[in-house]
Amino acid sequence: VSLRELYKSYSDSVQFLPIYIREAHPVDGWWMGGGIMGKMMKKYSPSTAFDVYDPKTMEERRTVAGRCETTLQYGIHTYIDKMDDSVSHAYAARPTRLYLIGLDGRILYAAEPGPYGFKPNELKHAIDIYLNMNP
Amino acid sequence: MNFIPKTIKFRNNELAWQKKYNINAPKKGALAPDFELADVDCKNTVQLSDFRDQKPVALIFGSFT
Repeated sequence: VSLRELYKSYSDSVQFLPIYIREAHPVDGWWMGGGIMGKMMKKYSPSTAFDVYDPKTMEERRTVAGRCETTLQYGIHTYIDKMDDSVSHAYAARPTRLYLIGLDGRILYAAEPGPYGFKPNELKHAIDIYLNMNP
Repeated sequence: MNFIPKTIKFRNNELAWQKKYNINAPKKGALAPDFELADVDCKNTVQLSDFRDQKPVALIFGSFT
């Protein structure tokens, strides 16, 4: 299942909050846009950007996050972590990570860090369990 | 620096970062750390605790690359 399908199926009963954090593979960092890896990434992850530099200011973060939001077109607001990466640190969110939080503010599901721990199917399963127990 | 040593260096840095912060990341059953963040236009802000007793929340962290 894709995140897009999750939004579509559960947006009435779950609040989705995409949070833009520090770039994982910027041009001026661990870039993956070149060579065989780049070709594979472009083929299998066509919505990933390969021309983005790591934003150095909030304004730059907003610009890149806006591009990301426009490209992915999930139809929901993306929120942006501050330059001190405080939310990313609190959730150990880099490079990508999923959580589900219950009505009482407690963690129902904490994925392992991405990319290997990024499993929308597990998030779906956690949502289903929660909604079945709290119809 | 060629591709493989560079990749190993970045990967090791990333793993060190994850190890450092993952220890204190909230686990199942723990209270989720609160935060307040603005959207791309700075027109809307969201505070996680505002959803308490309203809706469950799915946090999706990521970037464009």
